[in-house]
Amino acid sequence: MQVSTKWLKDYLEINCSAEELAEKFTMAGVPVENVIRAGAGLEKVVTGRIEKLTKHPDSDHLLVCQMDVGEENLLQIVTGASNVAEGQVVPVAKVGANLPCGKKISKGKLRGVVSNGMLCSSDELNIEVENPVNGIYILPEDTPVGVPAAEILGLDDDILEFELTANRGDCFSVFGLIREAAVLLKKNPAFPKIEVDENDERQAADLIEIKIDAPDLCSRFSARVLTDVKLFPSPEWMQKRLEGAGIRAINNVVDVTNFVMVELGQPMHAYDYEEIAGKVLNARRADKGEQLHTLDDSNRLAKGGELVIADAEKAAGLAGIMGGFETEITEKTKTVVLEAASFNPASIRRTSRAVGLHSESSGRFERGVNEKATVTALDRAAQLLQDMGACKVCKGIVDVYPAPKSEVKVQFTAKQINERLGTNLSEKEIVEILSALGFKVEEIFDAEENMDHVFDKISFAAKHFAKSAKELAQNSEVDDFVKNIGQSVGELIKRSNSVSSTAYEATVPDWRNDVTLMDDLSEEVARIYGYDKIPATLPKGQQQGRQSPSQNFIDKIKNILRASGMNEEVSFAFTNEETFDKLQIPADSELRRAVPIMNPLTEEYRLLRTTLVGSILENAARNFSRKNEDVKLFEIAPVFFPKNLPVTELPQEVQKLAGLLMGRREPKGWAQNSADVDFYDAKGIVEELFAQLSINNYTVEPGEHYALHPGKTAIFKKGREILATVGEVHPAVAEAFGVTKKIFLFECDVAMLMKCTAKKFSFESLPKYPAITRDLAILVNRDVAAGEIEKVIVKSAGNFFNGVTLFDVYTGDRISKDKKSLAFTIKFQSAERTLKDEEADEAFKNILNAVEKTFAAELRS
Amino acid sequence: MENKISELRAAAAEAINSAATNLKELENIRVKFLGKKGELTTLLRGMSQLSAEDRPRIGKIVNEARAQIEQLIAEKNSELKAKELQNKIASEKIDVTLPGRKVHCGHLHPLTLTLNRVKEIFIEMGYSVEEGPEVETDYFNFEALNLPKDHPARDMQDSFYITEEILLRTQTSPVQARTMQKNSSNAPIRMIAPGRVYRRDDYDASHSPMFTQVEGLVIDEGITFADLKGTLDYFCKKMFGDSAQIRLRPSFFPFTEPSTEVDVSCVMCHGANDTCKVCHGSGWLEILGAGEVHPKVLQMSGYDPEKVSGFAFGMGIERIAMLTYGIDDLRLFFDNDTRFLNQF
Repeated sequence: MQVSTKWLKDYLEINCSAEELAEKFTMAGVPVENVIRAGAGLEKVVTGRIEKLTKHPDSDHLLVCQMDVGEENLLQIVTGASNVAEGQVVPVAKVGANLPCGKKISKGKLRGVVSNGMLCSSDELNIEVENPVNGIYILPEDTPVGVPAAEILGLDDDILEFELTANRGDCFSVFGLIREAAVLLKKNPAFPKIEVDENDERQAADLIEIKIDAPDLCSRFSARVLTDVKLFPSPEWMQKRLEGAGIRAINNVVDVTNFVMVELGQPMHAYDYEEIAGKVLNARRADKGEQLHTLDDSNRLAKGGELVIADAEKAAGLAGIMGGFETEITEKTKTVVLEAASFNPASIRRTSRAVGLHSESSGRFERGVNEKATVTALDRAAQLLQDMGACKVCKGIVDVYPAPKSEVKVQFTAKQINERLGTNLSEKEIVEILSALGFKVEEIFDAEENMDHVFDKISFAAKHFAKSAKELAQNSEVDDFVKNIGQSVGELIKRSNSVSSTAYEATVPDWRNDVTLMDDLSEEVARIYGYDKIPATLPKGQQQGRQSPSQNFIDKIKNILRASGMNEEVSFAFTNEETFDKLQIPADSELRRAVPIMNPLTEEYRLLRTTLVGSILENAARNFSRKNEDVKLFEIAPVFFPKNLPVTELPQEVQKLAGLLMGRREPKGWAQNSADVDFYDAKGIVEELFAQLSINNYTVEPGEHYALHPGKTAIFKKGREILATVGEVHPAVAEAFGVTKKIFLFECDVAMLMKCTAKKFSFESLPKYPAITRDLAILVNRDVAAGEIEKVIVKSAGNFFNGVTLFDVYTGDRISKDKKSLAFTIKFQSAERTLKDEEADEAFKNILNAVEKTFAAELRS
Repeated sequence: MENKISELRAAAAEAINSAATNLKELENIRVKFLGKKGELTTLLRGMSQLSAEDRPRIGKIVNEARAQIEQLIAEKNSELKAKELQNKIASEKIDVTLPGRKVHCGHLHPLTLTLNRVKEIFIEMGYSVEEGPEVETDYFNFEALNLPKDHPARDMQDSFYITEEILLRTQTSPVQARTMQKNSSNAPIRMIAPGRVYRRDDYDASHSPMFTQVEGLVIDEGITFADLKGTLDYFCKKMFGDSAQIRLRPSFFPFTEPSTEVDVSCVMCHGANDTCKVCHGSGWLEILGAGEVHPKVLQMSGYDPEKVSGFAFGMGIERIAMLTYGIDDLRLFFDNDTRFLNQF
């Protein structure tokens, strides 16, 4: 919705600037998105008369003007223009002006002569003139001096662009906005008097029949018949108003229907009477496959169920969205049927979305029009056309309104409203605000009257009690008894005071379809009272704030990985089959059974991801292509597995962790290791993560993963559960993502990690006695796994064993080709005493025997 | 004999003072005079020839001489040691301007950092952090929030549909309805629901099909619009600094009544700069939508609007992160460029 301030000013006295008005509207819940000032940049441009013109002492082409700009003193301005003369009135940009052409005017000197502004050309003011001249824009000589140029140039009509909320259909009209503005500015609006002279003797009802076959989609259909119609361009004032509202002027009939739509908020349609078959208009549902020839001359096929307005033979338009081609107003039109109807918002919304047509009319119907006002709209349109001598008006209105809307009444008390808002508004303030907004507010329960009534009853009862008490117990306790009664009565009065506040009933004005509850009234009161005046308090009472254990666990993982040098990434949950192909996910893998999106944004985003590996590789690839080749990333996010396909219930959401390493191990630097990361960096991070999370007693074995190098993939397991997969990305996968560097990856299931976390942790006391270490250096065949040797060492090391560390791995020239050398440090220790060397030697011998036997290991000397 | 001793003492003193220029020479001198075959030792050995009455007196003199020489040597020794350490230190200068060896810590994503801050503030205020599925039913995402089918307000949230009834949640408010329905009727609630949400928006500098929201809900007896205002004012001051102001503008959301948009005073110019690029000179930044919970929303999830009331609010974490860090393009969050991530 957009409208010019001049249109608003037609019916309401508005003394503030467009910006101030916009601010008031916005702060009352009628948001103005934009104020377009026709005269933007002309704020400091006024009209001025050249009183005196002298030559510049130091220049041949400069002139010094003494300007009367309506101020006490003349303004001295130096100009280079040649078309100026004494007595002329011209636009003068004063110091501080910021012209539309971009020029900023400041005080200055031109060749030593002070100049306090600039005389402007039409170009500099960014205005179109009929006969542009080279030089200063010369205004008529009788133009008043010292007046804002915008006013003189007709550029003072500002446009307000509203961004209205879905509930305020009533504000999609000039009248609606006027009603709001009148309350905000505390002024009385002067709406135009709507009168029609029904000067054609014929009854409209004799000429046209109106039917509603689909009363659930069309609650009211009113029509007028206009005769002797003459088509011509509508008057300039109307064209200007429409232009301000962003609507192109076409001809008087169409313009009037648009004008009334903007003014009253009631969309209208004009039919060429001659073209209506059977002289009947029926609001009915379209049949499936029914032909719709709309006025944009396109043939549409109905899906069936759309509301159409049809004559005896065919649909003559999509109701509320677009009229029909055949019944369109043309040069030949002599008689017009004007339609003002109320259509079901949901139906209009569905159809308009389905056919992709959004119009000023459909937008209004979607928000709901005031069905009480169709007749007013017809009268206004007839009046306007009649005023411009464009038609005669037949008698009567054909009005089909099967179930007139009843008035909406909402009960409230001031207490209820104040309790909802946290305010302390008086009943008077509340009633005043609602009344100003057009609500009819009536008292339905007078608290004061009620109080008197309650009071009477209580005092009567009290008297009665006291009397009987006196009679019954003629002793000293009577005084106490009476006192007690007094107290009870007092409390009763107090309580009745707090519960009874005057109850009111507000009748909702027919143009407001968004108010049905007390809560709605509270908003009305709050927005007019001013949200800024409502106090700021904190809720009473206290609760314990917390995160869930799994949220804390995820935070912990993030912090551990961050400390391990990894950056957290966030990526979209979308993926596609091509990514699955690039990842080499097998055709029968459940990872390919992804949840499809019915209306994806792009083909690239048509599935929900089942793995984080695709996104993390894409992020690595993006970095790689930008020459960020040192990348350490991780992400924790859900992946989605459908319970069945096609989807019939919510998919399973599984939190996953993925990590990726590529490029240098350490940051580049003079004292840093310049080697690239390898498999063991990735594995080390997983090991440290597990240690920090108290995940112990897991095993690591070679494994397989669709996207990883088959010889460089490890699986971390606890029992049969897989904790993590770590490996080098398969070179073909890396290549598919466009990366020529080695990439290392790990992947975990967050819930599984949480499940495998040791529940208890207790500290181990520090040893009191020294440890003895022995180094074991052995030669074994290359394919013997170090992990297996460690297992044998642990098994054969005896009671004093206290840990083994593999500290050297060697393959190379110094040993035979098929061998590798491994060196372990083995630690022995007792908690009770200092061990003897012989005991360590004994244990060492057992270990050596075991590895020799199991792996045919040779001791290196 | 006595003369000899005093000569020897003088000779030793002379040698220590002048001849000893390093520790090794000093040691030679010590050996020369005090060693097993040293001159003073030799002299001492000759004492046996002395008379019994001379012996204690001369012995005392010799011992005194020995002590004196030892003292001199010790003094010289520390003097020379100090000098040597000084020389060593003088030769050990390094270039302290060389960069330190880099320890590479990673970085949490700016959205996580921002969300953590938001969570911290609300947990401190007694809110629990609740979660729900990202793929939701139409019922929880819309209907339970008073957004029936064909409601025009659904246009504000163009959705990704999986089926007619299942969609990617467009807001984290469904978690509110889920939490209410999980609770016993009218049980007080103070919760936030952070999470990813999805809307069918084109991907550009200010729109993204996926973004992060935090919704909040408070339900209890006597919760007012003023409580909402106070809570958000407190939150904004914690989040943006004590000088932050909030401004409430009436608005419309189907799930709240009254509803409000909340602006915070510009984090960049605090309303002081007409040409501020962040607030475009308005001095205000829109950061939140909020309101008193609509009675229908309470009813639909088993709460009685006659007994309890509540407020709800929702904010975008991307928007807050952009304001806090001065980020001008939303896509930077999802590009995951290491040069970007390394800054946080």
